Amino acid sequence: MLINTVVFLPLVAGLVLLMVPRSAAAVLKGIALSGSVLTFLFSLAFLTLGINSRAEFSVPWISGTWIAAYHVRVDALSVFFVLLTTLLSALCVWAAFSYTDANRLRGYLFLILAFETTLLGLFTAADLLLFYIYWDLMLIPVFLLLAGFTNSPQARRAAWYYLIYNGAGGLILLLGVIALVSQTRTFELLGVQLPHLGAGFEWWIFAAFALAFLIKTPAFPFHSWMPPTYTHSPPPVVALVAGVQSKAGLYALLAFALPLFPHAAHAWAPALLLIGVISLIYGALVALGQRDMKTLVAFSSLSHLGLVWLALFAFDITSVSAGILMLVSHGLIAGLLFLLMGFIEERVGTRDLMQFGGLALRAPRLQALMLIATMAALGLPGLSGFAGEFLILIGTWQTQPAFTAVALLTVVLSAAYMLVLFQHSMHGPLRLPKGDAALPLELRPRELALVAPLIVAIFFLGIWPGWLNDRTPTSIPALDLATSDHSAAALVLPVKQP
Amino acid sequence: MMTIQSVSIAWPALLPIVILAAGGLLVMLVDLVSRNASRAVLYGIGIVSCIAAFASMLPLYGQSITTLNGAYAADRYSWTIDALLLMTLAITFLLSSLRRADDGGSPGSYAALLIFCTIGGMVMAGANNLIIIFLGIEQLSLALYVLAGTGYPRPASQEASLKYVLLGSLASGFLIYGSALLYGSAGSVALSALAKPAAALAPLFVAGFALFIVGIAFKLALSPFHTWTPDVYEGSPLAVTAYMSVAVKVATFAVLARVVYVVFGHDSAALAPIWVLAVFSMLVGNLGALRQRNLKRLLAFSSIAQAGYIVVALAGVQPSGLSAMLFYLVAYAFTNLGAFAVIALLGDGDEAYADLDAFRGLFFRRPWPAAAMALFVFSLAGIPATAGFYGKILLLQQALSAGVWGITLAVALVVGTLISFYAYGKIVWMMYAYVEGEAPQAPGNSLASWIAIGAGAVGTLLFGILPQVFYATQPFLSAAAK
Repeated sequence: MLINTVVFLPLVAGLVLLMVPRSAAAVLKGIALSGSVLTFLFSLAFLTLGINSRAEFSVPWISGTWIAAYHVRVDALSVFFVLLTTLLSALCVWAAFSYTDANRLRGYLFLILAFETTLLGLFTAADLLLFYIYWDLMLIPVFLLLAGFTNSPQARRAAWYYLIYNGAGGLILLLGVIALVSQTRTFELLGVQLPHLGAGFEWWIFAAFALAFLIKTPAFPFHSWMPPTYTHSPPPVVALVAGVQSKAGLYALLAFALPLFPHAAHAWAPALLLIGVISLIYGALVALGQRDMKTLVAFSSLSHLGLVWLALFAFDITSVSAGILMLVSHGLIAGLLFLLMGFIEERVGTRDLMQFGGLALRAPRLQALMLIATMAALGLPGLSGFAGEFLILIGTWQTQPAFTAVALLTVVLSAAYMLVLFQHSMHGPLRLPKGDAALPLELRPRELALVAPLIVAIFFLGIWPGWLNDRTPTSIPALDLATSDHSAAALVLPVKQP
Repeated sequence: MMTIQSVSIAWPALLPIVILAAGGLLVMLVDLVSRNASRAVLYGIGIVSCIAAFASMLPLYGQSITTLNGAYAADRYSWTIDALLLMTLAITFLLSSLRRADDGGSPGSYAALLIFCTIGGMVMAGANNLIIIFLGIEQLSLALYVLAGTGYPRPASQEASLKYVLLGSLASGFLIYGSALLYGSAGSVALSALAKPAAALAPLFVAGFALFIVGIAFKLALSPFHTWTPDVYEGSPLAVTAYMSVAVKVATFAVLARVVYVVFGHDSAALAPIWVLAVFSMLVGNLGALRQRNLKRLLAFSSIAQAGYIVVALAGVQPSGLSAMLFYLVAYAFTNLGAFAVIALLGDGDEAYADLDAFRGLFFRRPWPAAAMALFVFSLAGIPATAGFYGKILLLQQALSAGVWGITLAVALVVGTLISFYAYGKIVWMMYAYVEGEAPQAPGNSLASWIAIGAGAVGTLLFGILPQVFYATQPFLSAAAK
C-alpha cells in the first residue's frame, strides 16, 4: 500500500490543486509542495528494505486474452530511482514557484505533479503492461509543459520534437511488448526468465526494446529531440526530464530487457557498446562547442549516459553496479545544474555564455554551488560523479579494453567543457546584458535551501559510494551468461493458460 | 408455379426493431397531428424508444436466435452492435436538441429519419444473408442521404447530401452487383452457403466478393474509396456527422466481420484486398488529418484511419478477432461521440465551433470541456489509460499473430498512429499552448451535451482502465450463423 501512496500522492495533490481557485497562489503552492515533500518522506521508508527484500502490491487486472495485474514493487534496483524521483520532484515543485504567469501557475504545478506520478509509476511497475502505460503517459505532461507553459516559438517546436520522437519510441516498444506477450500470454514478466523464444524472435524483440530505450535516454543517433527539449524547457521541467526521465530507458533495460532476453542482449552488445562510445565522445565534442549553457549541459548528458550504455553492455558486475551509481549520480548532478542555470537565467536574462560572465564577483555563493556542480559533473574525486565514472571504467576495462580506452577520453573532454561552462559564467569581468535586474545576483536563502539537498547527496555518494553499491542487485541473467555457461533457456516460464 | 414457404418468426428477437419502428411512426404521427410539436417532445419520444428498445434487448442477452428462415440472427454479436447503435442514436438526439443545432426546420422528419437509419443499422447487425444485408445498408444509407442535407440552406450541407447520394448509390450498385454474382456462385443468398465457393476460390465468387468489398469499402470510407468522407462530414449538421461517424462504421463493420467469419472462417487469399485497403486507409487518413483546420474534416480523416485500424482486428481471421473488433468499435463509439459532444457543447450546436480556432486557449477559459476533449483526443490517438489504447493493443495482438500480412498491418498501424500524434496533438496544442489570436467565446453549457460528454468520458475511461468489464459481454457469432 505504501507504494501506491507514494505513486499516487502527487497526482492526488495535483487534482486537489485543480479544485482551488487560480488566484489563490499561496494555497496552490502550499498544497503542491506539501504533496511532493510528503511523497519524498514516505518514500524514505523504502530505505529500510534489505538487498534481497522487496515491497510489493498486486491485484489481478486483466485475464482472458492475456494476463495482466496491477502489480507494483520496490526492490533493490528501483528504490534508488524512486528516491531520486521523489527528491528531485519535491525540489522542482519548489523551484516552480518562480513561474511568473499567475493565470497558468495552477496548471504548471499540476502537470509537474502528474509527471512525478508517471515517473514513480514507471519505476515501480512490475507488470509490463503497467510499465508501458506509464512509459507512454510520461509524454503528455512534458508535451503540455513545453507547449503551454513556455512562451517562445522554439520551445513550442521543441514540444513537437519531444512528442514525435518519444511517441515513435513508445510505439516501437509497444510492438515489441505485444509481440512478446502474444507468445507468453502474460504481462507478468518482471524477474521471469523466458524459455528460449527462438533466437531470431528474441533478437527482434530485444531490438525493439533497445531502440525505444535509446530514444528515451537518448543516445546517438536518436538524440535530435533532446537539445531543443532540454534547452527550451523551464528549469524545473528540464531538471526532471534530464535528471529522472532520461534514466527510464536504462532502468527498464536493467529491470526488464536484460533479464528477459539475455541471449539477444549479448548478440546486440557490440552495436550498443559502439553507440555508447559514440554518444560519449560525440556528446562531449559537441558540448565543447556550445554557447548556450543549457545546450552544453544537454550534450554533456548525452556523453555521460553514453558511458552508462557502455557500462551495462560490458557485462561486468563492477561496471553494471557502477552504472546504477552513475545513473543516480547523474540524476542529482543534472538536476542541480539545470536548477542553478535556471537561477542564472532568471538573473541575467540569457543563456548565452558569450553574453554574461563574472558572476563570481557579485555572487560568491552562486559561484560555489556552480563549482560543486561542474566539478561533480567532470568527475572530481570526492563527488558522486567520480565514483561512478571511475568504477565503470575499471569494470569495462576487464571485458572491453578497446572501448574503454576510447572512453577514457571522456575524462579529459568532460573537464574541458565543464570548465568552459564554469569559467565563462563565473570568472572574468562582470558582464550583465540586462544591466542590474530586479533580482539580487546572489542566491536568496530559498534558492540555497532548494539545492542544498542535492549538494548533500552529491557529497554523500562521492564520499561513500559503497552505500549505494552494496545495495544494488548483483545478479542479472545477462551477466551470468557472460561469466558462466549456465543458460537461462533451461528455466521454464510458468505460463498460465487462459 | 411458385410456392411461398411459410416463414417462422421469432418475434422476441425482432422486438427491438419493432419497438424502434413504432417509435419512429409515433414521431411522425405526433408531428403530423400537432404541427408545432417541440423538439423536446419529438426527440424525447426518440430517446424513450431507444430506451424501450434497449430494455427489450435485455432478455435476449446471451441468447442465440436465428429467425426468418436463417436470414436474421440475434446473437451476442448483434446484441453488442445493437446496443452501440441505440446508444449512438440516443446521444445524437441529445446533441440534436441543442438550441442552435440544424435540423432543416423540420424536427419531426429529422427524428423519424434518424430512427429509421438506426433500424437499418440493426438489421445489418443481424443480417445473415445477402438480401437482408443489402436491405439494411439501403435503409441506413437512404435516410442518411436526406439527413446530410438537413443543414439546408447552408450550401455545404446541400453539397454533402448530393455527394453522398451520388457516391453512395454507386457503392450500392457495386454491392448489389457483387451480391448477384455471389448468389450465382453459391446458388443461395445465405452467407453460410458461400463457404463452399469461398473455400474453392471459384472465379465467380472471387469476382462477386471483390465487387461486394468495393461497396462495403465505400460505406466504411476505406481508402481509396474515402473521397466523399471529408466533404460529407463537414457539410452535414454536427449531430448527423457524429451519428454518421459512429453508426455507419459500427453497422457496416458488423456486416463485414460476419461475412468474413461466416464465409471464410480462416485466413484466405481472397481477403488480401481488404488488408491492402486497411493499410491505405491508415496512412491516407492520418496524413490527410495533418492539415485540417476544421474539426469535422479532421475527424472525417480520423474516421478513415480508424476504419483502417478496425480492419486489423480481422487479420488472420482468428477466433479472438471478433471480440477485438467489437472492443475497438465500443471504444471508438464512446470516444468519437464524446469528441463531437464537446464541439456541440461549446456553441450550443453551432457549426462554427467546429473550427480549430474555437479551441484556442480553451483550457484556460473552459477547463472542463478542454480536459474532456483532451481525453477523447488521447483515446483516438491511443494514449494509455483510455479505451482507444487498449483497443489498439488488442488489434496489435491480432496482427502480430497473423503472419506476414499481419506484420504489415501492425507496422502500418504503428506508422499511422505516429502520424496521428501530430494530427490529434494539434487539437490539444490549440487548447493549451500560448497561441496568438482571438478565439470566439464559448458560451454553451447545455445539460444535454454534458450528458453526452459524460457518457463518452465514462466509457472511454472505464474501458481504458478496466477493460475486463468488456469481457463480461464478450460476444460471439451464434452457432447457427457459423
